[in-house]
This record gives sequence, C-alpha cells and structure tokens, in this order.
Amino acid sequence: MNSPIVKEKLIRKGAEANLYYGNWFGNEAIFKHRVPKKYRLEELDKRIRTKRTLNEARALIKVKNYGLNCPQVYEIDVESSSIVMKYIKGEKLKDILDQMDESKKIKLFKKIGIFIAKLHENGHVHGDITTSNMIITDNDELFLIDFGLHDYSDSIEDKSVDLHLFKRVLISSHGTHYEMCYAAFLKGYKEEYSKAQVDESTSIIKNIAVIETRGRYVKKEDRL
Amino acid sequence: MKMARLALGIESTAHTFGVGIIDFEGEVHSLVNDIFVPESGGLHPVQVKEQHLSNFSSIIEKALKEAKCSIKDIDLIAFSQSPGLGPVLKVGALVARMLSQLLNIPIVGVNHCIGHIEIGRLKCNIEDPLTLYVSGGNTIVSAFESNRYQIFGETLDLPIGNMIDSFARIVGLSHPGGPKIEKLALASDKYIPLPYVVKGMDLSFSGLFTAARRLVESKKYGKQYDLNDVANSLQETAFAMLTEVTERALAHTEKQEVLLTGGVAANKKLQEMIKYISEEHGARFEVVPLSYAGDNGAMIAWAGVLRYQAEGGHELSETKINSKERMDNIKIPWRK
Repeated sequence: MNSPIVKEKLIRKGAEANLYYGNWFGNEAIFKHRVPKKYRLEELDKRIRTKRTLNEARALIKVKNYGLNCPQVYEIDVESSSIVMKYIKGEKLKDILDQMDESKKIKLFKKIGIFIAKLHENGHVHGDITTSNMIITDNDELFLIDFGLHDYSDSIEDKSVDLHLFKRVLISSHGTHYEMCYAAFLKGYKEEYSKAQVDESTSIIKNIAVIETRGRYVKKEDRL
Repeated sequence: MKMARLALGIESTAHTFGVGIIDFEGEVHSLVNDIFVPESGGLHPVQVKEQHLSNFSSIIEKALKEAKCSIKDIDLIAFSQSPGLGPVLKVGALVARMLSQLLNIPIVGVNHCIGHIEIGRLKCNIEDPLTLYVSGGNTIVSAFESNRYQIFGETLDLPIGNMIDSFARIVGLSHPGGPKIEKLALASDKYIPLPYVVKGMDLSFSGLFTAARRLVESKKYGKQYDLNDVANSLQETAFAMLTEVTERALAHTEKQEVLLTGGVAANKKLQEMIKYISEEHGARFEVVPLSYAGDNGAMIAWAGVLRYQAEGGHELSETKINSKERMDNIKIPWRK
C-alpha cells in the first residue's frame, strides 16, 4: 500500500535541522526535522529542540494571518521535533543575489523591508533574518522561512536587534552590494511602518546605531 | 647558505609578552613567552605593564638565542598594535619602534585577532577556514568574505575565557581558572539548567555567569549539588552555545574548513564539540597547536610578514596603538 506520507530525500542539512523533500497527502512537502545534537547534553538538547519546534510552528501559523508569505504548516510532531510544511519551489536569496541586476535588487530589498515591517508592526520578531532564510520563487515572490528563533515582542530594542542582524549579514556575506540593498530595505521598512497605527520605525532604526556601539572594541567616542 | 629573511614579532596585548622569530617562508625559529600571573584577582593593566617592561630585553635575547641568530639578522619588526590593554600595548609598540629605528628596518603593526587566524592557517595548512576564536579577551566566529575577516558572530558581553576565569575566581581557584574548571567538570555528569542565550549568531554570557554565581552562593550549594556539578553545567551550556553559533555560521558560509584557536581552544570538551559539527557538515576540523593557540609572538611576526609582502611596512606615524580596533575594520590585501 502506498503511504500518504513519503519522505523522499534529504535536500539540505541546515545548522539545526535536516530538511527532507517529500509528499504529504498529495502535496509537495518539506519535512523539517530538528535532529538531536549529540554535542549537547540530552536534557539541554531536548529543551532547545522542543521549544524551537513549537515556536516555529506557532509563528508560521500566526504570520500567515497578515498575508505574509511563509510555508503553510501541515503537521507538527513535538516528540521527534519535526514540522511538515508546504514545499516552496525557488532559490535561496543568498545564492542568487550576486547575479541580480541593480534595479531588481532595489525592488527586492524594498519588498523585504515591507515584509519585515509587517512582521514588526504586528508584534513579531523573526530572530534570524538572513539571506539564507529567504526564498525567491520563479515568479519573484518572496518567502521568509525558519522561524525557530521567532519571538513575540512589542519592544523597540528587540525589533532593532532583528534589523541589526540582517544588516550584519548583508555586510559580511554581500559586502559589495551592501549599501544599495540596505538603503532600499530601510526605505521599504519605513514606508510600510508609516501606515501602521503607531509608526515606531524611526526609533527602531535609530536604535540600531546604539546596538552597534555595544559591540566589542567600539571606540569610546563612538559610544552614545 | 644564506638564511631566508627573518621577521621578529612582539605580542603584547594582555598577560603574555611573547617574542617569535619566523622566516619569510613561514618556518618558526623561536617562540618565547613570558606570562604575567596575578597573585590574586585578575589582570591589572599597570602591573602587567611593569612586568613586561622589566622583562622584554631578556625575552628578546632568549628568542634570538633560540633562533641561533643575532639581532642584526632581523629584517622586519612586527608588533601587536590592536586590540588589547592600552598600557600593555604601549610596551610592545615602544620596543618595536625602538628596534626598528636602531636597526633601520621596516616596522609593521598587526591586529592581534588577525594574527591568531593567520598563524592557524599557516600551522594547520588550511586555506579558507571558518574560525572560532575563543580566549580570555575575545569570542569571535569569523570567516573571510569581501576582502576582510568578517565577524559573523561574537559575544555581546563577556568573552568566554574571561567568564570562566571570573567564575573560577569566585570559587577560590587561582588564575588561569579555565583548565581547573575543565578538570572539575570531568568529575560530574549532573546538569543544572542555566540560561542559554543565542541571538542569531551572537552570544551573551553575562546571564549565564550570574546564574552560575548564584548557584554557588545558594544554600543548596554543597547539599544538593557541588562545585563539580556547577562547573559541568557551566561548561556544557557555554560550549553548546559556542558550538551552535559556529554551526550556524558554517551552514551559512558553507566553508569547507573549521579552525579552532585562542587559549580556550585547549579545552578538550570544546574541541570534541566543534569537531562533531564540522564532521556533520563535511568540513575539515583543525585545532591550532597549543603553543600557537594562545597569545604568542610568532603569530604577530607571521601576520606582519604577510602585510609587509603585500603592502610594505608602516610609517612610524602609523604605529600608534589602538586598544579597540575591530578585526573587520581591516582590509586584508594578501588574500583574494
């Protein structure tokens, strides 16, 4: 008998989870399995995996409510720390960014800015906004994935931390495109936030500079 | 036969005054360290400076003797210009400028953290690693991208070595506390839950430190658990955090090699954990040999040679120390 649930092949070994491609009741699906990390103590490992699995599944379901693109959750199994979700066909932004032409980049980063602003104005922080966690589909739709470090928050600080991480990723992985992309990103972010009931975008963006001065070896005169 | 050209490197950022002599081909001819050990408490910059000032000439003599050469055979002086304790950095810079002027040879200032990575690449024969650099002063996950050693993750507060040493001091263990905590941890397999703080690829150890301190100040201490258990829990939590961010950076950068360096690299438990994730991702794992993992002069000399060969020496006016320079501020002209 053919099982309705088929885990076909391992497609990616991420930092904390293995991703398998397969089929779930006739739908193309991704099986995200947070594998036990043998380097950690079992007790600590279980605590972290359970927390992040639940966190991610809940976040994915919530975020859909705002019309944002992220994978639809099909099934959750806390015992094995796995989530089955819709398969999104596309490319990781990290892999295709360097080949994009300028106008496309600007358009895309503005879109990313709008996306993240929508998350933030609704009280969500992603916790790991990187170009590895964004998928661009064939018809240029943007999907955000990997909500394992997601948190609910209304604080300016948490939202700034979210943006600061993204800025750092842009500098370290895409240094040559950084300035243009980051500027377009902030533009989109501000524009979207200005439509919210309370526009906190200025304070959030300002606070990124404060976070930067907390890094190690930042000169005294640069400290705020 | 004429020997290859020689560089003398001076490490003087914290407790170690190190002198290393290396030739331009990368062979190390001598490695001499003088390490300040506080009688009590931590490193007091002025005390460290005093010791380095009174010992530097004998250390240099010893290094020359070990390399079987005279000071006149040296072709290049390199020194640790940044980052570190201000008064201590000044000693190294002073000695380096003096030698450069006396011998009329070029001088190169080196960022200490870059020295750690470069000597690791040389000694482990590794090309393009993701580096976890863990010591008393630094906790950095770095890899080479866009002409720089970019920092993918770092501690937001305490460096890991500092955190462990400070905890050791609270429980009455003398400096350096790291190896003693490692030994105590081996005697326990009990785990007491402690704060585990990972923010993206960054880490925070201050909450963990406070929680561990509370454990040994609690009434339950010595009854429900002992120092071995706290040491074990502290190490397990802190190292799991380090390993997780290293794995994240490894998955993100897709590097094929992982390099573990800095004083805390001596910890066997941490080595095992980083080795495990490297193998998981099919990356080659290397620990920098211990004599080169801690602060030493050879790493400064080697990074100096690389910089000198790519861009020449520094002007005297460019040799001002900088106690707070970030590694990712510096362009690396010798790598593509």
